[in-house]
Amino acid sequence: MSAHLGPTPLRVVGQRVPKVDGVDKATGVAQYTVDVRRPRMLYARLLRSPHAHARIRHMDVSRAQALRGVRAILTYRDVPPVVHAGQPQPRAGSLARDQRILEDRVRFVGDGVAAVAADHPDILEEALALIQVDYEVLPAVFDPFEAMQPAAPSLHGTDRNLVIPPFIVRHGDVEQGFAEADYIFEGRYETSRPMPAYMEPDACVCEFDPSGRLTVWISTQAPFMVRGSLSEVLGIPMSKIRVICEHMGGGFGAKQDLYQYPYLCVLLAQRTGRPVKMEYTREETFVAGRSRHPVVIELRQGVTRDGRLTARQARFVANSGAYASHGPGITRVGTNALASLYKCPHVYIEGLCVYTNAPIAGAFRGYGAPQAYFALESQMDEIAAQLGLDPIELRMRNMFQPGDRGPAGTPFREVMLPACLQRGAELIGWAEKRQRPADPGPIKRGVGVACQLHSATSYPAVKEAAGAVVSINEDGTVQLLIGAADLGTGAKTVMAQIAAETLGVGLDAIRVVSGDTDVTPYDIGAYASRTTFIAGGAVQRAAEDAKRQLLDLAAQELHAEPADLHVTDGVVASRSDPGRRIAVKDLVASPGGRSARTIVGRGTFAPRNDYSFAAQFAEVAVDTETGQVEVLQMVAVHDVGRVINPTTAEGQVEGALHQGIGYALMEDLVVDGVSGKALNANFADYKMLTALDMPKIYVELLESVDDLGPFGAKGLAEDGVCPTAAAIANAIYHATGARVRQLPIAPDRLLELIP
Amino acid sequence: MHRFDYLEPATLSEAVALLAQHGARARVLAGGTDLLTALKEGWERPDWVLSIGRVADLRYIRYDSRDGLRIGALATVREVETSPLVRKHYPVLAEAAGTLASVQIRNLATLAGNVCRASPSGDTLPALLVLDAEARLVGPSGERRVPLARFFVGPGRTVMEPTELLAELVLPPPRPGTGAHYIKHSLRRAMDLAVVGVAALVALDGETCVDARIALGAVAPTPIRALAAEEQLVGRPITPDAAEAAADLAQAAARPITDVRGTAPYRRRMVHVLTRRCILRAAELAQSQGRLP
Amino acid sequence: MKRPVTLTINGERQEVAVEPWWTLLDVLREELGLTGAKKGCDRGDCGACTVLLDGKPVTSCMVLAVQADGRQVVTVEGLAAPGHLHPVQRAFVDYGAVQCGFCTPGMIMAAVALLNETPHPTEAEVRAALTGNLCRCTGYAKIVQAVMAAAQHGGAA
Ligand SMILES: Cc1cc2nc3c(=O)[nH]c(=O)nc-3n(C[C@H](O)[C@H](O)[C@H](O)COP(=O)(O)OP(=O)(O)OC[C@H]3O[C@@H](n4cnc5c(N)ncnc54)[C@H](O)[C@@H]3O)c2cc1C
Ligand code: FES
Ligand code: FES
Repeated sequence: MSAHLGPTPLRVVGQRVPKVDGVDKATGVAQYTVDVRRPRMLYARLLRSPHAHARIRHMDVSRAQALRGVRAILTYRDVPPVVHAGQPQPRAGSLARDQRILEDRVRFVGDGVAAVAADHPDILEEALALIQVDYEVLPAVFDPFEAMQPAAPSLHGTDRNLVIPPFIVRHGDVEQGFAEADYIFEGRYETSRPMPAYMEPDACVCEFDPSGRLTVWISTQAPFMVRGSLSEVLGIPMSKIRVICEHMGGGFGAKQDLYQYPYLCVLLAQRTGRPVKMEYTREETFVAGRSRHPVVIELRQGVTRDGRLTARQARFVANSGAYASHGPGITRVGTNALASLYKCPHVYIEGLCVYTNAPIAGAFRGYGAPQAYFALESQMDEIAAQLGLDPIELRMRNMFQPGDRGPAGTPFREVMLPACLQRGAELIGWAEKRQRPADPGPIKRGVGVACQLHSATSYPAVKEAAGAVVSINEDGTVQLLIGAADLGTGAKTVMAQIAAETLGVGLDAIRVVSGDTDVTPYDIGAYASRTTFIAGGAVQRAAEDAKRQLLDLAAQELHAEPADLHVTDGVVASRSDPGRRIAVKDLVASPGGRSARTIVGRGTFAPRNDYSFAAQFAEVAVDTETGQVEVLQMVAVHDVGRVINPTTAEGQVEGALHQGIGYALMEDLVVDGVSGKALNANFADYKMLTALDMPKIYVELLESVDDLGPFGAKGLAEDGVCPTAAAIANAIYHATGARVRQLPIAPDRLLELIP
Repeated sequence: MHRFDYLEPATLSEAVALLAQHGARARVLAGGTDLLTALKEGWERPDWVLSIGRVADLRYIRYDSRDGLRIGALATVREVETSPLVRKHYPVLAEAAGTLASVQIRNLATLAGNVCRASPSGDTLPALLVLDAEARLVGPSGERRVPLARFFVGPGRTVMEPTELLAELVLPPPRPGTGAHYIKHSLRRAMDLAVVGVAALVALDGETCVDARIALGAVAPTPIRALAAEEQLVGRPITPDAAEAAADLAQAAARPITDVRGTAPYRRRMVHVLTRRCILRAAELAQSQGRLP
Repeated sequence: MKRPVTLTINGERQEVAVEPWWTLLDVLREELGLTGAKKGCDRGDCGACTVLLDGKPVTSCMVLAVQADGRQVVTVEGLAAPGHLHPVQRAFVDYGAVQCGFCTPGMIMAAVALLNETPHPTEAEVRAALTGNLCRCTGYAKIVQAVMAAAQHGGAA
């Protein structure tokens, strides 16, 4: 594949161009799913279980049904009894079919038991309150270790409540590795339950037209997955389902599996013959959304006196909550991440994913890696401290080399961690700050570092592909159709840049159409860190295809060789004879009156994976009397291959840091260990950092030359959140000597640990 | 959202009459930032919501050196925070007001509403307590003045009758040589409720503390004064040791609970740390006050 | 029972019949089709619904429509003249302060209100003025940058 790093300088790629949909969003014009209104539209909501585990003996909806304005009520008796998977394209290669649209059994507080559609939202609350449900409460279990005991209540009838059989990564012989070690380090790390907390609540609007065609507007990262799932579970052919998501208010991974509400909304629309809208309250996004998996990691590593890792043994126990969702994939990615990052000859890691009666955990930026790296990078820091080595030096001594196998099993093409570490150390003033004498007074400062490496795609677990179509309009402007949804990451802008660069036209000549299954080519969904990498690759290929057709036409018109032609600013010209030129628009629709030519370029891209690297440095100030931690600054150095748009790329890291710092210090959906109720399912008590809480951030993007992705781009969206918690925990250790092994690092717990 | 009927009196006497008529079936709406939350959550289910938002002449902040400060029931927290009068004569009140929620909420919320809501963590309450504020209440049988020190009865409960309205808050004129400070301890630096709130006021004559008041928020069913700690300070210079001793007594006065925002032991420990810090800062401010021309 | 209220929205007087328990946000979005202000929480916690009420920023989910009777409301739709962006909107677009955009209308209204009161704020003042607006995408870095830039270019305009 041509690397495009040659003599022609890039015009559009690499530029800080504003987002193509920025104006629409800044003026309030952009329509999100929650903004969709249809004539005669009804409003719907779910009745949710107050019990963590129960069987429904009996339901009586008659009083609710009698309420004026109530149009339809669905219970488990009214829905097709199809057992299905939440996530039909599993990143783990194994599909967990464990959910029904509704059933006579609930498995967590918030599980849906009925759905009501009514004329106005005002009526819904009252209608829900009038539905009588007779529950037989069953014993519930919230802790994954308890859930694996033989006597524990079984959620789905699987062995030890496991979602999938244990996932094992093994190489070498850990017994031998520990025998070769001079020291052995052991720790138990416990992570929290943060929520993606996208600002747009989950929502959909479903409408059948008189001929039975279904249109679904839905806030999703994966319109084609929605179409596929609805088709499979409800038995509607794909040709009769159109899924639309033009703008979405964030997803961060969690809006890529389906449970209950979209199916119910379709069924309500079917039953009433009217459009139906369902919009989650903020509370519902917490109790019925998807959290990051709380994970317990037991990690044991052997190391020689001079700081070489000899053995690593670990158990990664993920709490999946009541359903599988992405649990299998996350367990796989997390377990692989634990096995990786630094070279270690003898590794044995076991990944377990366990059902409990907690809210559903699912995909969330980082996908198992943030948990793994919190444990691994905390322990690396501990080893360095014990051995009297600089934490960077310890990492350098265990660095992978190009050609070594990465966490996904494929080899590293290059290893950028040393460069990230070195640059970050310079930026934060590492050498000087590590030597700084302890602060007098109760406020102590410290610096810490942690690293990550991440695969942009789910290869080889899922062989992903994306498609793109480029078609040239009669006036020379361009329609770019991409299947990928834009979560708000700027994917549309980046895709437009890639197309403009490849075609040799201006950015404003490109109109990007995305998120409409009737119009765009297939795309598996905007997840992992894949969109720029894979969808961008497809766009590049589609644009090249279109350009090839243009040049062939131009070669005929200009009596030139295609190889001698180039396209710049919408004009095709000969390199050897610049006077020979023709505008793209005249090629497509000649002024002579012949009908316009069809120029449609198609591209698909199904690459292997590629790895991206990062080192993050944190400087903190800890109030040793209150346990409060102030992050003074974060330095994040990321290797991303080619940067297509520095503004959107930095934005990805800045946003990820917001989530990473929150993960470290405060974000946690607290689930009561007796009732299973979420205790802070609102933005007042579920704390996300405000503008005042965010520290200064320095993001530096290292450009490595890698020709796999479009113009050499790699993934980035997930990376920023992976090492942050460990970097902060390590900085706290440097500041205070307190080694934190539990997230979030709450002031009261930290205070107990400060020596 | 709970559904209700809506009343909008134009005068205070009309408001009082309507309240007398509907009594416990009505709720007063000022800024609405607490009441709307309660209505949305279904915690409150009144038949009537009585908005005082259009009652004439309740939106004022007035000061004179003899009678002190008077804050009408409709003055918003934001107006208190930014009022030049408050900032000059009662800076700790402006400071405390500025820690409440966000600009958007402070533009709606009233100071009187914060008092009537009587949340143990209400951010302006410790400051109002150390400033010796009084509430002027009007009801069917006339008006009465109640010092805030005797106003709060429990979480969300006050001495007000359901038929009474809080018409204004009155603060006595400040004595010279005082400094006061409020520390809000919360996980976030903004948009958060206090895990512990401490206000301290110190009046100095030379080096000697001649008056001290300490109020604690979020560590008891109501905001409380730490009287023993105050007594400890009076009559001697404010030294780190004196502050420490007062902090011990304040800690002993706290009766916190454990909830999702903090554990009781942690809150107790924070009362100590923050009271010490707050006293020392108030003394610093008092000293710099004394040095002003 | 519904009652009529008169609102001056983005300079235009409008009469609309509302139930007493409807919020200003719901009336803007559902009755008047002004969907710029967003509902992120409906509890005053996120700021996505921020509008100017008599010139001051408020969370419109925490105001009853009846409370707004007779008052001036400015929403994000009313900031730009056709074909022209308000300087704050321009800066948000140019500086990459918009990602998913869901917080953007509220964020912009809060920023406009700040610059109306304080045309040349410090960075700390900008951050303090935006604490009522949660953003999950940007880490606020480019938002703060955009507001500072708008201030320099006369964002109060
Ligand atoms: C997002 C958010 C964040 C918040 N953050 C904070 C915070 O950080 N710190 C804090 O202390 N509070 C906070 N609050 C609570 C609230 O904003 C304050 O308590 C506010 O001061 C209440 O004033 P209001 O005018 O809005 O009261 P309203 O909601 O109108 O009334 C509150 C209560 O007092 C009664 N009442 C009000 N005025 C009178 C009167 N004049 N006479 C008789 N009764 C009256 C009402 O009937 C009601 O019971 C927050 C609220 C929200 C929504
Ligand atoms: S929707 Fe109003 S503050 Fe969140
Ligand atoms: S841009 Fe997505 S929430 Fe702010």
